[in-house]
Amino acid sequence: MSGIPGNARAERRARLARAMADEGIDVLVVAGNPWRCDYLRFAADITPVEGHAFAFIERGRPARIIVEHPAEARRLRAEQTDLDVRWSLSAIEETEIAIRELGKRRIALAPLAAVPYRLAMGPLVASIAPATALLDRLMLRKSPSEIEAFRRAAVLADEGYAVFRQAARVGRPEYVLVAEVEAFLRSRGCPENFQILGSGGREVRGMHPPTERRLAPGDLVTTELTPCVDGYYAQLCRTLVLGEPSKTQERAFAVYNEALEAGIAAVRPGAKAREVARAQNEVFRDHGLGDYVTSEYTRVRGHGLGLYVDGRPAVLEDADLNLEPDMTLVVHPNTYHPEVGYFVHGDSVRVIPDGCEVLTRTPRRLFSVPLV
Amino acid sequence: MRRGLISWSRDEVPPLVLEGRVARLQERMRDAELGVVLLYTSFARPSAVAWLTHFVPYWNEALLAVFPTGAPVLLAAFSKRVHDWIRSVSHLGEVRSAPDLGQATVAFLKERPPQPSRIGVLELDALPWPVAEPIMKSEYGRAVVDATDLFAAIRQPADEVEIRLARRAATIAVQAFKAIPTGPKRASELLSVLERSARLDGAEEVLPRLAPDLRADATLRRLDGDALLGERYAVELSVAYKATWVRITRCVSTQAAPPSWRGAADRFVEAVEHLSEANLSLEPQVAGSARPGKNAAWTLETCRGGPPLSIVATGEAPSPSELPGGSLACFSLQLDLDDGPWLGGEPIILGSRGQPSRLLI
Repeated sequence: MSGIPGNARAERRARLARAMADEGIDVLVVAGNPWRCDYLRFAADITPVEGHAFAFIERGRPARIIVEHPAEARRLRAEQTDLDVRWSLSAIEETEIAIRELGKRRIALAPLAAVPYRLAMGPLVASIAPATALLDRLMLRKSPSEIEAFRRAAVLADEGYAVFRQAARVGRPEYVLVAEVEAFLRSRGCPENFQILGSGGREVRGMHPPTERRLAPGDLVTTELTPCVDGYYAQLCRTLVLGEPSKTQERAFAVYNEALEAGIAAVRPGAKAREVARAQNEVFRDHGLGDYVTSEYTRVRGHGLGLYVDGRPAVLEDADLNLEPDMTLVVHPNTYHPEVGYFVHGDSVRVIPDGCEVLTRTPRRLFSVPLV
Repeated sequence: MRRGLISWSRDEVPPLVLEGRVARLQERMRDAELGVVLLYTSFARPSAVAWLTHFVPYWNEALLAVFPTGAPVLLAAFSKRVHDWIRSVSHLGEVRSAPDLGQATVAFLKERPPQPSRIGVLELDALPWPVAEPIMKSEYGRAVVDATDLFAAIRQPADEVEIRLARRAATIAVQAFKAIPTGPKRASELLSVLERSARLDGAEEVLPRLAPDLRADATLRRLDGDALLGERYAVELSVAYKATWVRITRCVSTQAAPPSWRGAADRFVEAVEHLSEANLSLEPQVAGSARPGKNAAWTLETCRGGPPLSIVATGEAPSPSELPGGSLACFSLQLDLDDGPWLGGEPIILGSRGQPSRLLI
């Protein structure tokens, strides 16, 4: 049961069909799997739960789908009755045959991240990069219905964080916090959430999936919470402290908050992603923390959001991509702090003509959770 | 992407067991004259690497290199900061940073040239092109062979450790089914209860699929949004515990369970007992069972490579593949009863030649 309205699906297909026509592509073969299903969702609005899936997109025709499991085939047929779905234990081989049967039509294969070796070794290898770029362009700027889904995901991120704060209590293992958030998100019809966390003090260097570690007084508890609505992810990053924050923790928070505000202020059409990264990193440098914005301690200063949880652009000081209206991203100066440990702070934003709209609304505070 | 508990208990999965599995692979490698086997892992294909090392990627991807001797090396496209976590949940010789996995693999092979030179790759056809391309275009490309069958040959039957993990996963699923409240009206309410129960019990992952109104449609769906529940519905829970997956399917009635379901459950057990390594088909005996209903669909799945579960046999394809007795598998059956469809699914231990299969729990 896909939540995306039929008109939104049709709108995405129309954009794709126009782009295919412009590029002279008759058939676009889109590969995916449960790890990289973003391009499949865009092109055919299907989400594989298990195994490989391939969609044959032709202008003016319903998509043809090949999957690996009969239950997946039945599910996709039930979700979209106009799809032509078949399954094969050798879905990659079946797709190779189906491509061959297309004859001399102009065929392209995408995306780079999900095309399997066997298909890439065929005659379509040269088409992978340009076809992936075509899809990337279409997926970067969101349509009004995509923005609406992103907006709803941001609301769920805020609500999910309220549940997380409520669940974060001394003595509880990390995985219980995530269980409570997941149960809440399911109760709101949300099938997917990417969430990692960390807990402890200076020894904590990053986030990870939840462990059995029990929360202790004075812990900083970080999380990156990323619910998905109709396929679109929005992300919220916040840090809380169990008990009253120390002066050092408050001072650290002030740096991250300043960096987040600086990053968000840099988001506007025409700015490059690197300017958003630099704005955040300069704050750390000004506070004598420049070492901690290197790859030794952190990954990115934010990233694109949409149908993939970690999309383009990667907000880094060497990222060239120009920001355009209706791009969606998370700005997060998450990194290690030498006095308090790993610290996260980030919001989801949409680029608008005169800057950006911040869609997550959780207050930018160092939250304090009572010890009893 | 995984967001449940990922941890390694040395009591549940002793290092010696993991080393024994690696040793079995290394023995086959020596027989096949392979200097290294490369195994790709991601959220979608985590199981081969997890079986050898207990490492499960919660996102991103990695490649495990197993040489004929010594401990496996993980080339991980994760941030270096995560390496300590990777080491805490897995049994590895070395973890290397490999942001560009394909290029890093080539560089690694240059540093540790395989002896003999042949390179096995698990599920070569499925290897993502950005990983495969640098390897295949390098000086090592000509030495690459597919190692899927070689790995599958050692993967099953399941050892006692894996069976215990599967029992725990199945118990988590059963407890989740028991947590279903009386008369939930909406799918979101039901799935929330299932998800909460499974994750609080330590599930690494839980993937629910639901036929919300069994009388209208027996298709198990991934719910994105919500749906009203009918008087009868069916739930399939795929649960992972410490990288071991099971799949359990149950029908639920908000009224008293129809009498036909008891017969269906008996027919399910009869079908399980019919299966063995010598017979991976339900036809014709069970199709002609005296019990009520008609087989509408069935699958027998196991883990023998990267995917958590893949099909061994199904009523929808003619040729089952081979699976040794003692294998851990999941059997799913859909019956057409006079009063509507019925779905069931359970993990099983496949019977050896002449022995019936048995339910895991």
